[in-house]
Amino acid sequence: MSIAKLENIHKVYHIGKIDFPALRGISFSIEEGEFLSIAGPSGSGKTTVLNLLGCLDKPSQGKIFLEDKDVTALPTAKLADVRRKNIGFVFQTFNLIPVLTAMENVEFPLILEGKHDPKERHRLTEKILTQVGLKDFLHRRPNEMSGGQQQRVAVARALVKKPKLVLADEPSANLDSVTGKEILQLMLELNQKTSTTFVFSTHDKMVMDFARRIIRLRDGKIESDQKASTK
Amino acid sequence: MKMLLKLAFRNVFRYKKRTIITFSAISYGLGLMAVGISLYNGVNTHAMDNIINNQTAHLKILAAGYFEDKDEVPLEFTIDEPQEIRSLLKDNQNIQGIESRILFQASIISGMDELPCLGVAIEPEVDPLVFKIKDSIKDGRFLEPSESKIILGSGLARDLGLKVGDDCVLRLFLSTEDFIWNALDLEITGIAKTENPMVNRQTVFIPLSLAQEALSLENKVTELAVRIEDRSKLPEVRNSIESRLATLNKDYEVVSFEEYASDFKELMRLRSRIQVLIPLMMILIATLGIVNTMLMAVMERTREIGMLAAMGMRKLEIMLVFVFEGALIGVFGSLTACVIGGLGGWYLETKGFSMSFLGKEMSDMVSFLPMEVFKGDLTVGILIFTLVLGIVISILASLYPAYKAVKLDPIQALRHVG
Repeated sequence: MSIAKLENIHKVYHIGKIDFPALRGISFSIEEGEFLSIAGPSGSGKTTVLNLLGCLDKPSQGKIFLEDKDVTALPTAKLADVRRKNIGFVFQTFNLIPVLTAMENVEFPLILEGKHDPKERHRLTEKILTQVGLKDFLHRRPNEMSGGQQQRVAVARALVKKPKLVLADEPSANLDSVTGKEILQLMLELNQKTSTTFVFSTHDKMVMDFARRIIRLRDGKIESDQKASTK
Repeated sequence: MKMLLKLAFRNVFRYKKRTIITFSAISYGLGLMAVGISLYNGVNTHAMDNIINNQTAHLKILAAGYFEDKDEVPLEFTIDEPQEIRSLLKDNQNIQGIESRILFQASIISGMDELPCLGVAIEPEVDPLVFKIKDSIKDGRFLEPSESKIILGSGLARDLGLKVGDDCVLRLFLSTEDFIWNALDLEITGIAKTENPMVNRQTVFIPLSLAQEALSLENKVTELAVRIEDRSKLPEVRNSIESRLATLNKDYEVVSFEEYASDFKELMRLRSRIQVLIPLMMILIATLGIVNTMLMAVMERTREIGMLAAMGMRKLEIMLVFVFEGALIGVFGSLTACVIGGLGGWYLETKGFSMSFLGKEMSDMVSFLPMEVFKGDLTVGILIFTLVLGIVISILASLYPAYKAVKLDPIQALRHVG
């Protein structure tokens, strides 16, 4: 089953009086369990694609489906519900809540979801933080952790509610290459263990190599869509 | 909801300096406001009490025409049958006491010095039921009926260098226009120091019978002062007195202490307008403090807001984070304001502050107020008002910044650098 599908997506940004076409007719679908990279130089439309997939933005033209459900025309409040239930985000700049500990940051989406009692929330939170290797950092605040550790917390936060889709916008861009690789390695492991679908954007060749499928964008169009050969 | 509160609580302590500044602005501003209101209340009620206890009682029965000329203290508008009126009102349970009095223009002569004063002829046996003069005798004793002695206000005694046991001459003016007067040689039996500086500075008290004889007003008085048990029944008592008096042949008027002290009331009304400005200014300070703090918070946390929105937090929830934050500062600030207001108000209520530190000249200048010590009147209502006001202000003031926060486009917010 396809997790998400973009159909002939156009996106035009209006910057002042100038119309800037970010995406010019993009179509592709994402299958469950994929580990997909959206690659391309800056300005090619990577982030726009992620924003559309993440229901943060609406296309100027075309349709977006999440699990065969058309979400293109949903009102803003409904989109927030879709995000809360189905989508996990990992940001380039980690974006943890600075006043909360690692544990509380990861627990936050579960509280928003409102599905579990506190005991169950704590169990899930501890489990995922252990999985990302932060068992001993549960009660640290973001400013007491390294960049790599913070991004691990962010990955745990994105995964804790078991979303259909995890979107990561340049997850390694603010990390040194070794730590960046470690994060990608972690994401790949979680992808394989939990069969969560991952989509991440990057312009870094080394990071791209982790992907099982790479969609290359150039000037708002798909340049190529390849399965990685034998990894 | 618990999570939102936790988040707000921690964010309050995230920017300690800013929180402290805003918190201080609210607690000092509203605290001073509470003290100010207590003081204003106190001055108002104590001044009224002082006027009632030492000058006007609750009601005065006057011969028609007297009230219009009251500042001249005239002797021609007399009540000729005070006993008759008294027995007419005897069965009114609400009346605590009725005293026949004569007010007259006078002066006190001691050696070469002479000072003008207001003469008050009283019935020593009835006076304590109606006024508080007897309680305010600081030296000597109160008057006995029909003795030829005098009580001086403390200011007057001080200015003339007179003390208990000294003799002085009281000049009683029958007519100031024609300069007709009588004089009595009297021994000072007591010095009265009331809480009302106007009384202390310019009043002497002698027994009624003595004054009636010296002023040729046998059996006549210029006023009947009425004290009632319960001030709230004043209109009722006044109506009943008026209707009883209507059965008599002569015309009388009944005047309340409020009408008698109308100059003072006017003054207070003017002051109360100024007094409204103080809370308004404090509200403005507190509002600006909160709005500024919260706007800064929204600006600094733009990306965080974008992230919260991306995670699917609803707009209302994001707004609540900021409103809670402002409200928390408001709650702490107003609680402290209540402590400041409570302590300040309590001090003013128990100790009060005296104008005497300004020196005699200055304190004479401000003594248009019928009180020497300014005492506060702190009520629970003032503290509740302060608390509620502080919380309401901070919630209202947080709404705009919170609204700014949810108006942010999550994509723009996430891209925000800073």
